[in-house]
Amino acid sequence: MSIVSINGCIGCEECIKSCPTDVIRLNRDTKKAEILYPEDCQICHLCRMYCPVDAITISPEKSIPVIVSWG
Amino acid sequence: MTESKRKNSISRRSFIALAGGAAGAAAVASLGLHLDWETNNPKVDIDALGLDTFKTEVLVIGSGMAGLFAAVKAHDAGAKVLMVSKGRLGSSGLTPFAKGIFAYDPAKETLSIDEFVAAVSRSALGTNNPVYTRQMAEHSLARVNELKEWGFFDSTLYNKSFSKPIEERNIPIQERVTITHLVKENNKLVGAAGFSIDKEKVIIYEAKSIILCTGSGGFKPNGFPICDLTHDGTVMAYNIGAKVTGKEWNDGHPGKAKNAAACYDGWGDMFEQKPGTTGIEVHHDLGVDMNYVAYTNGSPLKMGPPGSGEKTEVSGGPFVPEEFSRQNSKPPDNGDRKPPKGGHGDGAPPGMGGSIVGGSSAGMAIHKSEGLVPINDQCESNIPGLYAAGDALGSYMSGGIYTQIGSSLSGSAVQGGVAGEAAANYCKNVEISHISTSKIEEIQEEILAPLKREAGYSPAWVTQTLQGIVIPNFVLYIKKENMLKAALAYVEELRDHHMPMLRAANMHELRLAHETANMIVSAEMKLKASLMRKESRCSHYRLDYPEMDPENWEAWINIFKGDDGTMQFEKQPFNSWSA
Repeated sequence: MSIVSINGCIGCEECIKSCPTDVIRLNRDTKKAEILYPEDCQICHLCRMYCPVDAITISPEKSIPVIVSWG
Repeated sequence: MTESKRKNSISRRSFIALAGGAAGAAAVASLGLHLDWETNNPKVDIDALGLDTFKTEVLVIGSGMAGLFAAVKAHDAGAKVLMVSKGRLGSSGLTPFAKGIFAYDPAKETLSIDEFVAAVSRSALGTNNPVYTRQMAEHSLARVNELKEWGFFDSTLYNKSFSKPIEERNIPIQERVTITHLVKENNKLVGAAGFSIDKEKVIIYEAKSIILCTGSGGFKPNGFPICDLTHDGTVMAYNIGAKVTGKEWNDGHPGKAKNAAACYDGWGDMFEQKPGTTGIEVHHDLGVDMNYVAYTNGSPLKMGPPGSGEKTEVSGGPFVPEEFSRQNSKPPDNGDRKPPKGGHGDGAPPGMGGSIVGGSSAGMAIHKSEGLVPINDQCESNIPGLYAAGDALGSYMSGGIYTQIGSSLSGSAVQGGVAGEAAANYCKNVEISHISTSKIEEIQEEILAPLKREAGYSPAWVTQTLQGIVIPNFVLYIKKENMLKAALAYVEELRDHHMPMLRAANMHELRLAHETANMIVSAEMKLKASLMRKESRCSHYRLDYPEMDPENWEAWINIFKGDDGTMQFEKQPFNSWSA
C-alpha cells in the first residue's frame, strides 16, 4: 500500500519537500510529518532517501481504487 | 487553515479512530473510499485566500535539469531571474530518476559529431531535428563539467548539488507552487499565475520572459515516476496560442507485472545510484515493439536482458532499421558503463526479468519529441518571450524514437542553458508589463473554481476514468482508426462535461483538478494527432497503416488553438522551422 508509516520523525520536513506528489504534510500540532494522501504515492522512495533518520517505511504494493460510475 | 485542522473534521477523525490510525486510513484511501463524495466540502476558507504578486525579468517554471541551467544561464547573462517549481529543486519531475548523462568528449569518442548526428538521423528515420541533435552533442561536455563542479556526481540525490549554483547566485526559488496559467494581455506575454499548496495563496508573476522547464507528462501511470507531470507547460502554452507538437509518439517502457505501481522496485536499484556519464551508442529503442508483440501474441511477456533471445518472433510490427536491429547486434556489455542498463533510452529496463506489463509511462512520448514547437535553435516558441527547454520543448533532439542513452538528461541541461541565455537577451529590449486587475480577477476565478463548486467530480475519479479510456494497448500504442475515434468520443465527453465540473476540497485536490484537466487536453491531442498520422514510423504504430509513407509523412504534426477555440493541426516538413 505504497508509503506505510513514518516512525521516529524529527520534523525536518525533508520528506514533505521531496515528495513529488504531495503525499506527506506536517502535522502542525505534533510537528511531525504525516501521511495524508497515500493514494497519490508513486512509490519512488525519494522521501525515504531524503529522510536523515531512516524513519519511512514503504511497501511496493498498491491497490487500485474500486471502479464506480461517478465519484 | 492548517493541515491538522483539516484532519480534525469530525467525520474523518472518528473514521480514523475506527480504522486504527493512519495505516488504516491509508488502506481505506487506497481503496478509493472517500467520506465526502456527495458534495464538495472545501476545507479551505476561499474568501481568506491571499494573493501575492512578484516581478521578475525571466521566470523559470520548473526545477529539474532544464530549469537549473535555464536559471543559471539567464542570471549569468545579466537577467533578474525567479524560479518557481511545482515540487522541489532537483527532486520532482523525471530529473531525480535520470542517472545517465551523455557527454560528447572529442578526446574519447571515435565518431565525429557529424557522424553522430548522421547516425541519429538514420535511426530516427528523419523524425529528428539535426540542429538540436548537434547542439546537444556540442554543448554536453561543458554542462557536464559544470555539474561536476557543483557536486552532481557525488550524490544519489540532486537537491544539494542543484542548490549550490542557485544559492551562489542568490536566485530566488519558490517551491510547491503550481502554475496554471501563462498570461497574455494586448497580445503580449506578460506573466504567469498559479497557487501555493502550502500557503493557500494565488500567486501572480509579472515577467518579461518565461522559460517553460515543466517536463513532459503522462496519465499518472503506474510504474514510472511521472505522476507529478501532466503536460502542464504544454497545455498552458497551447491555451495562449503556442504551437505544440509530438503527441503521436509513445515512450514504450514496460513495467513489472508484480507490484506494477512500484516505480522504485521496477527500476531495480537504479534510483539509489549516483549519476554517471555515457558516451556515443546509437540505438533505435523502446518504441512500441513490445506492445505489438503483446497485442499479437497476448501477455504476459517474458523479458531478459537485451539480445538474450527471449524476444518472441512475430510478423509485422514497428519497423526497425537493419543497422540498429537488436537481433543483429551483440548484447551490449554493461559491465563497465555507468549507469548500468536502464537509463533513459536504454534497451532494457533494469530489474525487468520475469513477467512484464505495458504502459508504465502511459501518456508520455519519447523524450524531447513533444512540447512547444521551436521556431529556431534558441528554444524560442512562436510567442515572443516564451521559451521552453528539456522535455517541455518539442525539439525532436532524437526524434520519435530513443537513439542515445543519457542524451535526454544532457539535452535538458543544454537546452536549459541555451534558453536561459536567449531569454536574458530578449529581456534587454522589452519593458515589463503590468497585469491588469480585471485579468487577475478572471484568472483567480479560473484557478479557484474547483474549490468553489458545491458539487462535482473528484479529480481522482475523472483521472481513473480517463486512464481506463486511453491507456489500453489497443488505444494508446497499437492504433487503428475505429478505436482512436471511439476513445476520442469518451475523451470529448470528459472535456465537455466533466472537466468543467472538477471539484476540490483542499489545495492538494486543487492541484489534482488542474492536472486532470491538463491530462484530458493532452489525451485529445494524442488521439487526434494519432488519427491524423496515417502511417507508422518510430514509436507511432498504426495497425491500419503499418508502413512508412515517405510521400505524405516526412512531416511533424503541430497543434494549436484556432480562433474559434478548437484544436487545429498542421504539418511541418521535417528539417524545417515553423513559420
